[in-house]
Amino acid sequence: MTGDGCTHVGCRRGSLDLPSNSGFLWKAWCESGAMVILREGLCPGLSADMIRSLKMNNVKTVVDLVASDLEELARKCSLSYKSLVAVRRVLLARYSAFPTNAADLYEELKGSTAILPTGSNRLDFLLDSGLYTGEVTEIAGPTASGKTQMCSSIAVNVAYSLRQRVLYIDTTGGVTASRLLQLLQSQTEQEAEQVASLQRIEVVHVFDIYKLFDLLQDLRRNISQQLLKSGEPLRLVIIDSACAVLYPLLGGKQTEGMAAMMHLAHELQMLAHDFSLAVLITNFVTKEGSDEVRPAMGRSWSFVPRTRILLERCDSEMESERRVVSLAKSPRQPTNLQVQVQIGCQGTLDENKVVTESPA
Amino acid sequence: MQREVGSLPLAPTLRTKLIFAGFRTVEDLAIDANELSREAGISEEEALECLQIIHPGSCGGTSLLSQKHTGLTLLEQEQAQGFIITFCSAVDDLLGGGIHLNKVTEICGPPGVGKTQLCMQLAVDVQIPGCFGGVAGEVVYIDTENSFLVERLVDIANACVEHCELITQSNQEDEHIKAMQTFTLQNILSRIYIFRCHDYVELLAQIHFLPVFLEQHSRVKLIIVDSVAFPFRHAFEDLSLRTRLLNTLAQQMISMAKEHDLAIIMTNQMTTKIGPRDSMLVPALGDSWGQAASIRLILTWENKQRLATLQKSPCQKTATVPFTITHQGFRDVGFPEHEVNSSQCEINPRKRPRNDDEP
Repeated sequence: MTGDGCTHVGCRRGSLDLPSNSGFLWKAWCESGAMVILREGLCPGLSADMIRSLKMNNVKTVVDLVASDLEELARKCSLSYKSLVAVRRVLLARYSAFPTNAADLYEELKGSTAILPTGSNRLDFLLDSGLYTGEVTEIAGPTASGKTQMCSSIAVNVAYSLRQRVLYIDTTGGVTASRLLQLLQSQTEQEAEQVASLQRIEVVHVFDIYKLFDLLQDLRRNISQQLLKSGEPLRLVIIDSACAVLYPLLGGKQTEGMAAMMHLAHELQMLAHDFSLAVLITNFVTKEGSDEVRPAMGRSWSFVPRTRILLERCDSEMESERRVVSLAKSPRQPTNLQVQVQIGCQGTLDENKVVTESPA
Repeated sequence: MQREVGSLPLAPTLRTKLIFAGFRTVEDLAIDANELSREAGISEEEALECLQIIHPGSCGGTSLLSQKHTGLTLLEQEQAQGFIITFCSAVDDLLGGGIHLNKVTEICGPPGVGKTQLCMQLAVDVQIPGCFGGVAGEVVYIDTENSFLVERLVDIANACVEHCELITQSNQEDEHIKAMQTFTLQNILSRIYIFRCHDYVELLAQIHFLPVFLEQHSRVKLIIVDSVAFPFRHAFEDLSLRTRLLNTLAQQMISMAKEHDLAIIMTNQMTTKIGPRDSMLVPALGDSWGQAASIRLILTWENKQRLATLQKSPCQKTATVPFTITHQGFRDVGFPEHEVNSSQCEINPRKRPRNDDEP
């Protein structure tokens, strides 16, 4: 099923609902278009009669047509070989990959990528100065390690310091507005600022995966409409947690979960990429073998986040506020980099105290 | 971007058939049921059903994105909400006011530490009338261990009624007097709906039907599952299936809590976890279950003292406080046992100011 995640359909060049500057590669779209059903008007020369006789021979999609032996097909369907070749050529041209110049890509990247600081210098150092837009970043950690706290504090920082909108998708009922307020109060004492920042954080509660798909679809539609109008753009989408909605489908003798997981993965990556959003997700951890902790959801999910950090309590002391954050995956920084942060009640990642009290 | 068929809540067999027939996106399915049933080789009813799922717009489906709250509206909602107090002010403070509505709280502890006592206490406390600072709700009590003792509940309920009566006597407010007329033992008992589930199948089925029950009983403000662990800790060969079922249950619970504005309490047992060097007592049901509840309270013994530790909470600091269980129920420590039992006037002056402070 892994391959399925990458094939995407229905986004042929003609029907794109995206602005041309949204910075995506043609390649992914075009590759994906190949599973399209053969339909009248798909390309000149492809008549209804032709489709009917092709269907009788089990040639239903573009990929079927392209992959079959045309000579044999022409004989079987009693169609003209020449017209079949012509149709195939048009279809191939239409769905083939479109090369992008790396220099152009780089220019585009410079224009569309933003780095959102998290509000904690140490965490920023770990993430190479913050959350990158266009990428999926994952925070993994065991129960009560501070994943939701970290998400909340990043949300507050983006909403307050950067004045950007944040969408917080809560799948476990963990986010509390009073905590958001508390975090804001530690940043500013002005009530008007606090109110404005709280208004920039939007919270949606979704508790099952198909509702999440609905939501992401809505979001996509919404953003593309909003891009045309001018408004405060959305910069950060947080899903806390991604695996809470996937776990009910995984395990036992079901395969459905795997497919749903790959869909979610694809959806998130496209969302991040198409709209220059930073996507932050949280994940559980599993213990493998002896005592090695690693992010949950297995190998196929491990390809999804571009950057992955692991959050752990540094001692067994239940009431300690100190956490070790280590980098499990990153395209820019050496992995296994570690920093210590403090998740306390004032500022969440209030690590200045750590520096003065106990240098890590 | 068109939505893929795979991301729709269709039955897996139906989905496979659609994909096999070449339907990959919602756009491909812009056809009528007749054609769909012919193309995909499914019955017409199935085709109709599937089209209804795909195009919910025609049946007036609402956009999820329009249900979003800004942090500000969420804050207003939270502040308007009451708490279910535990009658132990230390634990209430620990939890930030009491048991939160809209959230799932898990109570873990070894046998005999007072999990069921706390559950029964809460089943009574949730019914405290609004003028006394309660939420005046009803309770669904799902008992899987056969540990719900109605005679014990009567003790707790009597103590609670007596406590409210003392407040009424000292304040002499009309509102209180009126509320006390209906806040009786009889009424308290009749507002507790008890379901006994003997195995995990019954428990899952019960939880599946709860939304229907909640539609009919809109005053329910608390659902207690005592305990989740018991039916899931034996007779399970396939552990990954167990994890899946437990996670499904957790998502159903939180979704009910949000939709009906109620509190969920689940109790859990403890298990021994063997580490590389030492072993320790941890909540049962595995690591992934730890994510199920957003608030986790662990009750433990230390010598003869019962302690409550807040292990995780989205808005409170983790800490440990002592508590005790008396004849009246779940209470603060600080009074020698005989004093608590002999004279209620001793506790009540201490209780009253706190109760009046409640919003």
